[in-house]
Amino acid sequence: MGTDVTELFVVITVIVVALIFDFTNGFHDSANAMAGPVATGALRPRTAVILAAFLNLLGACLSTEVAKTISGGFFDDELITVPIILAGLVGAIVWNLMTWLLGLPSSSSHALFGGLIGAVVVGAGIASVNGWVIVSKVLLPAIVAPLVAGIAAAWATRLAYSITRKTPSVHSETGFKYGQAFTASMVALAHGTSDGQKTMGVITLVLIAANLQAPGSGPQAWVIIAAGVAIGLGTYSGGWRIMRTMGKGIVEIETPQGAASGAATSATILASAHLGFGLSTTHVSTGSILGSGVGRGAEVRWNVASRMAFAWLLTLPGAGMVGGLSALLADQGVFGVVALMVLLTVACLVIYILSRRHKITHANVTDSHEVLVLAAATPTTYPDDPRLEAPKPKKTKKPKAKSAA
Amino acid sequence: MHIDWAALGIVAVVSIATSVIFTILLAGGIRLVSAAKIKSNEGGSGTMILSMAYVLLGLAGLLVLFGIYLIIPRFH
Repeated sequence: MGTDVTELFVVITVIVVALIFDFTNGFHDSANAMAGPVATGALRPRTAVILAAFLNLLGACLSTEVAKTISGGFFDDELITVPIILAGLVGAIVWNLMTWLLGLPSSSSHALFGGLIGAVVVGAGIASVNGWVIVSKVLLPAIVAPLVAGIAAAWATRLAYSITRKTPSVHSETGFKYGQAFTASMVALAHGTSDGQKTMGVITLVLIAANLQAPGSGPQAWVIIAAGVAIGLGTYSGGWRIMRTMGKGIVEIETPQGAASGAATSATILASAHLGFGLSTTHVSTGSILGSGVGRGAEVRWNVASRMAFAWLLTLPGAGMVGGLSALLADQGVFGVVALMVLLTVACLVIYILSRRHKITHANVTDSHEVLVLAAATPTTYPDDPRLEAPKPKKTKKPKAKSAA
Repeated sequence: MHIDWAALGIVAVVSIATSVIFTILLAGGIRLVSAAKIKSNEGGSGTMILSMAYVLLGLAGLLVLFGIYLIIPRFH
């Protein structure tokens, strides 16, 4: 009886943590679809995230066929235990939040694989991980995705500009904005179908491992809905920091350029999903924006791009480190799990508090191209900056003092 | 473990070709709609140009529909 209760506790914990990961997945990737339309004004920020959230939820509900495994071929499926899944999820969440704080787009799938690999290495040693799969499924796609999408976007952008060169911009702006809204919606829907599955797969796997569900059966209705709602809420919350980097940080996006990069993003994502060479949505959309900037001949901020490339390289080992350390705790029974949850909560809170110093919201997402973390970094002020509001109390105090006198 | 270079090549070619075709259809449609408007403002008849514009935009729309067909697993 006692073991059943502890097992149930662990299962519920993993489900909650999986949904939290799904949420971070949503707000981390909101920018993939919507950074372009928000930057050009094709969609208002609020409208963009509501649309993306709805399409992600819809996409998640449409894809009920989840992958049978979550190991991705990186290691033996038998090595996957419930504590390892928990530790892997914690690694992925912490990495997603850290890159979000810095406003860096990075792949949530890579973070999840990294977390799981780290946890497996701690449990079963480094020899259990297939290094070749890391090269073919992580390193190579991370180079190929921005290259392919970038070339596609660069050519599309050049064509878009040369075809409409003599068209009055009043006419072309509207048309390209419609195009952008359509391609962005496709990216959001495709994201829901592919990434919603990940969380459903994890939860279903855990339920089967705990004998709460028949082996080989698909996800239950509540799992599909919960995963869809979590990714939708995450998308709605916006991830404005990453949206600023992608929409303003890499390059200034004009409307025809935004439409071309949107076309390149959706074409590359769909081709990679259906022709057998998987690419990360994040890497594809970033590559498109970069390529469209090159195609227009705009000034690309290569320092931002290289910082992003650095974050991509660090995603697997970074999430792996956190996942590995978490695995040490997750293996220590209920107390270990409770301690891990306390640490995760503290980490989330610290990152959240740091993010408040330079808050980025739907209201100021396109005001600047910089994502600041520490107040000391640059003395730039934003509308939400507390320093702008500081003088207000003084003004209201003065008349009061006069009337009192 | 091998790397599927053939799949990689196909993905690259299809991605680039589709992006370029979609953009040509969209930009061409936009250009013709604008040309038709300008022509009718000048007193001429833009119907012919406008119908050509709608053909291009319709084809772009078909590409979008095909994309949605690909995204939704139940369709295939």
